[in-house]
Amino acid sequence: MLEGAKSMGAGAATIASAGAAVGIGNVFSSLIHSVARNPSLAKQSFGYAILGFALTEAIALFALMMAFLISFVF
Amino acid sequence: MPNSPLEQFAILPLIPMHIGNYYFSFTNPSLFMLLTLSLVLLLLHFVTKNGGGNSVPNAWQSLVELIYDFVPNLVNEQIGGLSGNVKQKFFPRILVTLTFSLFRNPQGMIPYSFTVTSHFLITLGLSFSLFIGITIVGFQRNGLHFFSFLLPAGVPLPLAPFLVLLELIPHCFRALSSGIRLFANMMAGHSSVKILSGSAWTMLCMNNILYFIGDPGPLFIVLALTGLELGVAISQAHVSTISICIYLNDATNLH
Repeated sequence: MLEGAKSMGAGAATIASAGAAVGIGNVFSSLIHSVARNPSLAKQSFGYAILGFALTEAIALFALMMAFLISFVF
Repeated sequence: MPNSPLEQFAILPLIPMHIGNYYFSFTNPSLFMLLTLSLVLLLLHFVTKNGGGNSVPNAWQSLVELIYDFVPNLVNEQIGGLSGNVKQKFFPRILVTLTFSLFRNPQGMIPYSFTVTSHFLITLGLSFSLFIGITIVGFQRNGLHFFSFLLPAGVPLPLAPFLVLLELIPHCFRALSSGIRLFANMMAGHSSVKILSGSAWTMLCMNNILYFIGDPGPLFIVLALTGLELGVAISQAHVSTISICIYLNDATNLH
């Protein structure tokens, strides 16, 4: 019973990845938009995009971390 | 936890020591911290003193110069502000933070080594001490005027109590969040590499031709994930340094 509930909780924790997927997609779609409008800023905006990607990906990893903690620690 | 992917993060005492009631063992995190420190210091030593310091740098010297040149740009961009001497003042602190996490994070990607930054205690200690230092710098620079960062400019007075509370919570949460970000990135990435490589190994050992043919699938995912993890390890060093710069900028140059 407890094992099943743990698995369900860990699975439910990974739903949060959907939000991070939207976020990462948004970061790179904005990058493509801005580079298409002003290609001379491509290098600078790529640096910002990588920063935004890392920040967004960290949120996805929070969810993954919760799933790991639920299934392996508790 | 024999089959858990979190097994790699176990802290084992290498030289057990007790001082009074306290437990001061020399553990594997301490060993790997010392290893990182000695790696950085050795690199800097060989580049600057013996056989180094050339006007035309060799590969190692240009690596160190790259790291050294990278930080002033970051500091100027983020903490530039109006006062001039602020850059030189915070440069060593930011350089140490960047170099330490830049060498520590990829070091954990070596198989059978230990990732120091995948422990919440260590990243939290780092971020909390930096947060306390930033607060002290803010008070030193601005005096009691430092409290004005809690209130955005041009706010009607009746709204002020709520806004102060609303600004205070995210400000205090910064101390936690920069620690959690580094820890979660390292831990989740390493665990997922471990889980997927375990899956590939189990498929290989099943003695079934179908599983054997399908085995390159998880293997290539592990390969790609290892590359991603190396990228994450380096970019997280960058990101945590940038966020420290942003917090320092908020404390020194009030809005």
